[in-house]
Amino acid sequence: MSEPIIEAIERYGLSKRNRKRTLFSRIGVVGCGKEGSVIATTAALNGMEVVFLELSDEAIANAYARIGDKLDKKIGNWGLTENEKKAILSRISGTTKYEDFSGCDFVIEAIRYDDNTGERRILQRKDVFKQLEKVLSTNAIIASNVSTVIVTDLAAELEHTERCIGLHFLSNIPDSNIIEIVPGLNTSVETYNKVCQFAKLINHEYVQVMESAGLISIRLFLILLNEACGILMEGISTVEDIDRVLTVGFGHRQGVFRTADQMGIEKIVKLLDNLWDEYGSIKYKPSPVLLRLSRAKHYGVSRGIGFYTYDQAGNIIK
Amino acid sequence: MKILVLNCGSSSIKYKLLDMTNNEELSSGAVEKIGMKGSFLKHTRRDGQKVVLKGEILEHQIGIEYILGILSSEKHGAISSFEEIDGVGHRVVHGGEKFNSSMLITDEVIQKITECIDIAPLHNPPNLAGIKAIAELLPAVPQVAVFDTAFHQTIPDYAYMYGIPYSLYAKYGIRRYGFHGTSHRYVSRRAADFLGLDYQNSRIITAHLGNGGSICAIKNGESVDISMGFTPIEGLMMGTRSGDVDLGVVTFLMEKETIGSSSVSTLFNKHSGVLGVSGVSSDMRDILNAKNEGNDRARLAWEMYQYKILKYISSYVGVLNGVDAIVFTGGVGENRTEIREYVCKQLDYIGLKVDYDLNRDARAKEVLLSTPDSKVKVCVIPTDEEFMIASDTIEILQSHN
Repeated sequence: MSEPIIEAIERYGLSKRNRKRTLFSRIGVVGCGKEGSVIATTAALNGMEVVFLELSDEAIANAYARIGDKLDKKIGNWGLTENEKKAILSRISGTTKYEDFSGCDFVIEAIRYDDNTGERRILQRKDVFKQLEKVLSTNAIIASNVSTVIVTDLAAELEHTERCIGLHFLSNIPDSNIIEIVPGLNTSVETYNKVCQFAKLINHEYVQVMESAGLISIRLFLILLNEACGILMEGISTVEDIDRVLTVGFGHRQGVFRTADQMGIEKIVKLLDNLWDEYGSIKYKPSPVLLRLSRAKHYGVSRGIGFYTYDQAGNIIK
Repeated sequence: MKILVLNCGSSSIKYKLLDMTNNEELSSGAVEKIGMKGSFLKHTRRDGQKVVLKGEILEHQIGIEYILGILSSEKHGAISSFEEIDGVGHRVVHGGEKFNSSMLITDEVIQKITECIDIAPLHNPPNLAGIKAIAELLPAVPQVAVFDTAFHQTIPDYAYMYGIPYSLYAKYGIRRYGFHGTSHRYVSRRAADFLGLDYQNSRIITAHLGNGGSICAIKNGESVDISMGFTPIEGLMMGTRSGDVDLGVVTFLMEKETIGSSSVSTLFNKHSGVLGVSGVSSDMRDILNAKNEGNDRARLAWEMYQYKILKYISSYVGVLNGVDAIVFTGGVGENRTEIREYVCKQLDYIGLKVDYDLNRDARAKEVLLSTPDSKVKVCVIPTDEEFMIASDTIEILQSHN
């Protein structure tokens, strides 16, 4: 048998009409750190093509390694096969240039923390929004992974503020398939509806939350954590026992201290400071326990020590 | 009469254009990786030449447009205008309890297939996408749905019910539905013809063995039991599916490995079966090679695989109160002579005799394996689901005209 004939497919279309691309077939992620990589992986797992932007080739390589780790963990838990991993990785590409986002109908900014210091970056994020507006078509959606920052503020200087929206992935909790969707003051209904569709496409549930610092998840979590620190500080109970009451007693999937260690104590202190600034209530003042851990750089899983002590793989030693 | 047969999967569309006046295959092929990077269409022309078209194929509708495009193209096509297509036959995976035969597609039928999405969330949506695409692109051409489950709707209730609270059957339709119906129906009918049996008065066991596999008991032309159940995972051990497993294992593992329903599903559907046991491959050819090289887990997987086939066939001999013919089909059933030999030797107690020299040479063609004095006839019948779908399509179109 002779070799197969290989040709381009376009000539065989029945009509020359401009086809509508399926919505969200290609999405962008700015910043592929701890949170960005979760978003990129989730989207690629659900069949989308993902372009992520990082500052350097080295950062791109790190991001690939992070995504590969996540997928390997899934394979280890029987949730994925090697072939599926290959297919997913082939859908993800890294870049250092904003131009590579052209053609994306949805870009999520996820650079809210400096990975090293936990410092928040309002100005840089505004700049990201401006850069995105330059390369994206006017109906592409620009989203920000927000929890305490106000998306209306981030979008303020853009021409098309109606396509900006806030999203909050609970990226620190494994398999937490829910997104808080946060329309800004100028967000159009169309943008909101499209983002709801995005959530469905990646198999996440969603809730609409009014623009506010801390939304539902962060506000509830931080108060619970602060109170747990209070119980700890008063010598009433231990880290392990408090977590056990939450997991066994209340059916939480993991305890509050375990979650805090995964999120990073340094970030938590910043988040609490933010809520304290916004609401002025004493309940948002970071507990001295948190401040002490933060000063000692006992940030949690990332440093191998926080409320618990961890091995290299992030498993609790004690 | 020219019939286009479509089999739409979640990311692929297989197609075959058949001229049913003289049973000739005009063209066939598949669109692969729909909505993903590197999507393509592979096409085999009437003269056997293969053509690969590369480019973006974002959704089923676009994939079908290209299929129609190449079928009608001057260069590689088989028809000069779409008016030559008399009907389109679709493979639809799940018809639930709503369909016991193939159907002319109407709005009502589409509505019912949509209602079955709950129990076939992976399969029915792409099938529907294909039906809708044809309705839009070829509005004048009638379409027929041929269901994987329809043939098994004759299974009696005591065989299709599970021993769980009846309320769950009433609420969710939890019961055995069975799959591969089109294949079991085709090969059993074909076998009756080939062997000179009266189909309406016969006891036939068909073994469809491929990467997925099922065994079906057919009495007087009606399916009375099938090894696959509510989903295709029950029954035989398959390429990557576990087949029957004690339910206690599932709950034990969920607890021990702290995994949820989606991981459990991947574990038993994709990490298990021949691949999971052998650690080598899900393909029986690789397993046989590894086994011959002394790989003990390949040996184990091989023996488990054939043992399970024997077990189901034996139990169906009882179900049918004897058997007139056993039919092997599917990639493994048509080609793996060793498995047929094992099963037949174990069944000699029912008076089954096979010419093993003949068996060793019988691959991918219709062959009678049993000797003239055998009490049970054994044969290989290559399956042809597309032909069955096309002939159902014609039958329905003619009865509506």
